[in-house]
Amino acid sequence: MTHDDIDLDTQLLYETLRIRLVELRIIQLYPSDKIQSPVHLSIGQEAVAAGACAALLPEDLVFGSYRSHAFYLAKGGDLRQMMAELYGKATGCCGGKAGSMHLAAPDVGFMGSSAIVASTIPHAVGAALAAKRRGLQQIVVAVFGDGATEEGVYHESLNFAALHQLPVLFLCENNGFAVHSRISARQSYDLLEHADSYGIPTRLCAKGNDPRAVYDTVAAAAERVRVERRPTVVVVDTYRQMEHVGIGEDHHVGYRSPSEAEPWRRTDPLVNESALVARFTPQILREIDDAVAFAEQSPWPGADALLADVA
Amino acid sequence: MGLAFKIETPAATRDAEVVTYRDALLQTMRGALNDDPNAILLGQGVDDHKGIFGSTIGLADAFGKDRVMDTPLAEEGLTGIAVGAALNGLYPIQTHIRADFALLAMNQIVNLAAKYRYMFGGRFEVPMMIRMIVGRSWGQGAQHSQSLQSLFAHVPGLVVIMPSTAESILSSYPWLIRHHRGPVLCLEHRLLYDIGFRVDASPGAERTPAVGSRKLRAGKDVTVVATSIMVLEALRAADHLAELGAADVELIDLHCVSHPDTDLILDSVARTGRLLVADTSWQAFGVAAEMCRIVCERDPGLLKAPVKTLGMAPAPCPTAKSLEDLYYPNLRRLTDDILRLAKGRDDHGVPLPDDASATDVYKRFKGPF
Ligand SMILES: Cc1ncc(C[n+]2csc(CCOP(=O)(O)OP(=O)(O)O)c2C)c(N)n1
Repeated sequence: MTHDDIDLDTQLLYETLRIRLVELRIIQLYPSDKIQSPVHLSIGQEAVAAGACAALLPEDLVFGSYRSHAFYLAKGGDLRQMMAELYGKATGCCGGKAGSMHLAAPDVGFMGSSAIVASTIPHAVGAALAAKRRGLQQIVVAVFGDGATEEGVYHESLNFAALHQLPVLFLCENNGFAVHSRISARQSYDLLEHADSYGIPTRLCAKGNDPRAVYDTVAAAAERVRVERRPTVVVVDTYRQMEHVGIGEDHHVGYRSPSEAEPWRRTDPLVNESALVARFTPQILREIDDAVAFAEQSPWPGADALLADVA
Repeated sequence: MGLAFKIETPAATRDAEVVTYRDALLQTMRGALNDDPNAILLGQGVDDHKGIFGSTIGLADAFGKDRVMDTPLAEEGLTGIAVGAALNGLYPIQTHIRADFALLAMNQIVNLAAKYRYMFGGRFEVPMMIRMIVGRSWGQGAQHSQSLQSLFAHVPGLVVIMPSTAESILSSYPWLIRHHRGPVLCLEHRLLYDIGFRVDASPGAERTPAVGSRKLRAGKDVTVVATSIMVLEALRAADHLAELGAADVELIDLHCVSHPDTDLILDSVARTGRLLVADTSWQAFGVAAEMCRIVCERDPGLLKAPVKTLGMAPAPCPTAKSLEDLYYPNLRRLTDDILRLAKGRDDHGVPLPDDASATDVYKRFKGPF
């Protein structure tokens, strides 16, 4: 879709919808066992990626987590290659060696994603150190969940980024849970106050299902990182609608309640903007059909790939 | 100047100059910073007056503290930062003054650096080096002396080297820094830092192969495969035995623990029929075990006698010198084992060198570190 002819809000809605429809298709396909890879869906959280990536420049870099379908797509990763990667095909974005948890698209600045919680946060800091040393104007974004901030390396990364004044935007998708554990059962600190103690400016976006709200927050933060060449922490409150990993819903299993999901569903722009959704859905579904067909028809990686690119 | 070991490599025959292990490292680090404006050094104390036992001394003055960067005490974070920096165009060289501290960075080394290239189907490269120093003696004890090469070499994606001489540093570090596009882990031995080695200083000197293993001495009775300081111990043993005419030792410096030259080793064992492995670490699941695998998988029939292995006692390292001297394999034990293997019996009757501990032989200073 060309983005010149429509306004920003519509573009953001389109991108959010596209991510949602891709993940709904993954849910449909999953029982066929054609996708043999754990999937961590972003349904409910799509607007974070759509809003944030729209606020970045193509040369900016993003490092993600295992929950990265949304950021891969929003940063400009190729949908066909993503679908083929989920299928484990040779034409996947990583030749079938990555699966859902390690998507990457370096050509558009999506620099990889890791299944070890918090482990790419220092990579963003290092990439920002390189940007500083090489005189690049880019900024670097680390995307992670609220749980990741409990890891020691998060502290190490904030400290180093603040100490050396590096152009990193730490973007926390705060969905309130790490697997089935609530943030209140895990954290003795407040995310923003904690970042503030490093002298790092912070911003909060409480409406994480509104891509425009995310965009406004991240655009302002990114502008500051870009101009002042120092880190910022952005926390976006959001809500994961599906189970932590897999394609099911789990509002009834005990660790959370359907009623707490309700306010997020009620304010979901993909429900409320029904006219736009209806307008864009057919063309997005065609794109998804094409990507699925591409994945289906693509070959498996051959034995020659097994030992390629080891060291 | 310390002991000048005469290393029998082709490079050592002409225009030999004595260079210490430390100076070889310093020369290599300076060269890396000189050659590539995107090379940086990261480590606790790299810019201080001691400069990682002299191996980075003066470099912060020459290249600036933003390239020779003192770091917070954050081993995992800094390895992750090095990975990210490598992904965005730098060549980071990280230092650990003790290899034991690299254990805090194991997540980034094993889960990330080693896999970034493969896991993403070759879309990324992580060219970087992690130098770590194996401590030994002066009561370094359980947590300041571990020799962790087998932990790292176990993991596909890592190149692990253990330089035993100044020559092996000069012939491998610059080449790896320039040409290898992945993570390189260097385990340097503290006791070697002060020792001088004859190296070829002539311009354009042919260096031994950058990685892989090196044959340092040809012999017909026993193949000794050794790592790091055990290479020098094996040279001393071989010289002693040659002087007495008691055994003719072929010595292979394993050097690249992760990618040993199996043909060189097997060819040697095929000729001698006898293999002794002398490593700086524990034998179980380590270099000693791996050398046995290489031979047994190819052809156990090459062996005319059971393999012998030497390593640290299977315990954490004690601090008392009396225990430390028992804990590490010494020259006397090494020589004795070579003789038992060569002669095929324990009562070989050949006089052994005295058992002054390697610490006393190699160490040119008294503690504390
Ligand atoms: C180092 C590590 N510890 C534990 C896990 C298991 N694990 C996978 S996801 C996850 C929850 C992380 O929560 P959060 O960072 O909030 O991200 P979210 O999944 O909510 O997006 C855990 C504990 C892991 N993958 N890595």
